[in-house]
Amino acid sequence: MKKLRFGLLAAAVVAIVALVAVACGDDDGDGGGEGRGNTVQTIKDRGELKCGVKQTQPLFGFREADGTVVGFDIEFCKALAAAVLKDHTKVEYIDASDASTRFELLNEEEIDVLIRTTTITASRDRELGVDFAQTTFYTGQGFAVRTDSGIDSTSDMGEAIICVQTGTTTEQNVADHFTDIGLEYDPQGGLSQDVADAFFAGRCDVLTADASDLASRIAVRDDAADYKILPQIISKEPLAPGVRDYDSEWKDVVNWVVHGLIRAEEIGITKANVGQMAANPPNTEVARLLGVPFQGGEVAALGFDSVDPQFIQRAIAAVGNYGEIYDRTIGDNIPRACTLNDLVLNNSGCPDGQGGIQYALPYR
Amino acid sequence: MAVAAGGAPPPSSEVPLLYRRGVRRLLTQGIYVALTAVVIGYVYTSLDLREFGFGFLSEPAAFKVGNQWLTDVDGVTNSRITMYLVGVWSSLRAVLVAIALSTVIGVLIGVARLSSNWLVAQMAMLYVEIFRNTPLLVQVVLVYTILLIGAPLIENVVNVGDFFFISNRGMAMPWPVPDSGFWGTPDWFVGVWVAALLAIGFVAQRVRADRQGRERETGQPHYPNRWALGVFAVGAVISFFALGAPVSIDEPVIVGTHYIEGMVMEPEFTALVAGLTLYTSAFIAEIVRGGIQALPRGQTEAANAVGLSGYQRLTLVILPQALRQIIPSVTNQYLNINKNSSLAYAVLYDDLFRVANIVQNKAGHALEMFFVIIVTYMLISFAISVVMNFFNARVTAQRI
Repeated sequence: MKKLRFGLLAAAVVAIVALVAVACGDDDGDGGGEGRGNTVQTIKDRGELKCGVKQTQPLFGFREADGTVVGFDIEFCKALAAAVLKDHTKVEYIDASDASTRFELLNEEEIDVLIRTTTITASRDRELGVDFAQTTFYTGQGFAVRTDSGIDSTSDMGEAIICVQTGTTTEQNVADHFTDIGLEYDPQGGLSQDVADAFFAGRCDVLTADASDLASRIAVRDDAADYKILPQIISKEPLAPGVRDYDSEWKDVVNWVVHGLIRAEEIGITKANVGQMAANPPNTEVARLLGVPFQGGEVAALGFDSVDPQFIQRAIAAVGNYGEIYDRTIGDNIPRACTLNDLVLNNSGCPDGQGGIQYALPYR
Repeated sequence: MAVAAGGAPPPSSEVPLLYRRGVRRLLTQGIYVALTAVVIGYVYTSLDLREFGFGFLSEPAAFKVGNQWLTDVDGVTNSRITMYLVGVWSSLRAVLVAIALSTVIGVLIGVARLSSNWLVAQMAMLYVEIFRNTPLLVQVVLVYTILLIGAPLIENVVNVGDFFFISNRGMAMPWPVPDSGFWGTPDWFVGVWVAALLAIGFVAQRVRADRQGRERETGQPHYPNRWALGVFAVGAVISFFALGAPVSIDEPVIVGTHYIEGMVMEPEFTALVAGLTLYTSAFIAEIVRGGIQALPRGQTEAANAVGLSGYQRLTLVILPQALRQIIPSVTNQYLNINKNSSLAYAVLYDDLFRVANIVQNKAGHALEMFFVIIVTYMLISFAISVVMNFFNARVTAQRI
């Protein structure tokens, strides 16, 4: 009996010493982690890309009944996996649907990249340990109402009940806007899916969110004709992939994959013809973009040392160019022609004051 | 091992080192201090406490809080702490209503379970088993979903006599609003009348004590409770009219798709209170039943023997004694209601936890915010405990 008790006491002491050691060990680990990360290497070692995506937003990131995740943002995850891992299926989609914890997922290294309809803002860039790559989708905060509501702009919304997602830029925009126009409103806040459900159930008069978000939620409904999105936009919401601060190598890769996909659309490289283009590039620029020699010359690596020169080629082969991604996932649900997400190249035919701003930086 | 004769403790040199009392005390206390130091040290070094402080709470909120009642705070000119207090008021409202409702329903169901009527007893049992054995979150969300989908749209509102409306934007009902009366402002009236009611309540209490004393002396019924209630009611009515009866009834009206005027009970509030009430009343019912059944049978038999009616037996003999058992357990249930009210998060009700979350989302300072949240819940819990301990002292004052 006494031996046993001594054993227990000894075990407790050992456990405590171990705990102390572990705690101190953690401290050392944290202290050493101050330098630059190398997410590209981490992804390669792991053999899988951890992509933080939304799973509750149709067209952008949505979990289907069979468990697959589909949408515009998802295609960029696949493109990155193809670029870094040479296999666009090697993606683990981590649920980052909750707006309030998405940046923590990134900072805690639960995900490598956050592609989840996230707006670039100065305060996020400064304070939340996140760096934003090239914008994939330009939108702004809009308002959805029922078609028969008689509401045509925010000036008709006095005393209206407005469903607004909390923990986002949206609620501050709406509070600021209604102060500016001097009207009262009654907010109904919650998670984006919850407030959308409440709006469609008739709990509120107005649903406010990014215009693309509104369009995506209305488009998939059987009674889509009963709702309309007001033309009024009260904010800029450029949506971009987020990576951790101090990891410029990985941010460069994400940036240039996005630029590469846009450039591919500008110069007519598609999922269908990318193989043929790579085998027989028509000019030096296409050869550079696809990472292949032009007429027996050298391959230009452009200084990317963590990925091989064909990384953009693989991304295009996996998901197609920017326009193909848009058509396949969003399509006519959010018209593209002459809106911000159209190519600058196509603006000649647009009405005055309208037109796209998608423009790839030169890859050379 | 040799056992010392006569039970005297062996000299300390014979006891192994680890079994000496002094050594053990030193060891356990040393381990405790070391552990505490490690935890505090770890927290201190791993968290960035350089910016620890509560200054962020006084900055402008830049968001608006819903489900407001009796307050109208816009969030642009008001500070974050003001928005938080609006959330605290929303929580308090839900907690107080849920406590009142679950007590009434819980006592009724608990007594019904002991009913000699088979059907009543079985239905009470069914109620308890259903609501005690399903998660509270499920109940809250279920009620919310029913209210949102099941209730009609505001366009098809159910109109009861033009003064009561039901839609999925809530139930709108008439509500008294104080006016100016003969003198002063509405606020002045409310203040004076509340003071008057307190004074009348004190008088009623004196009357009750006096009647109780005479009842005890003479053995004749002097109806202390009825007298006290009567004095209070008459005093309340007289003082009300003496101040000019300055209350108008605010009837709800629907303009477009909005309720205006009246009181609107929003579905988020209803769902939270209904969920808390259903769940907690099932537990209170069991506590009441247990408290009653714990009394010796002799109490019931004695009450029957002196010819008390069933109602008298319950109110004069059984419940006063059962309360000694019931109140401590019911206090725990009230504390649970307070804590469980944070499930407001699931039904979009802007309670203190949700508002705190919004603040934290905007300002960071998660540690400070959680500190504020915890202190708030504890303060509410302490307040509930203090009130319930007062009642407990009242029922246990008489030694039996």
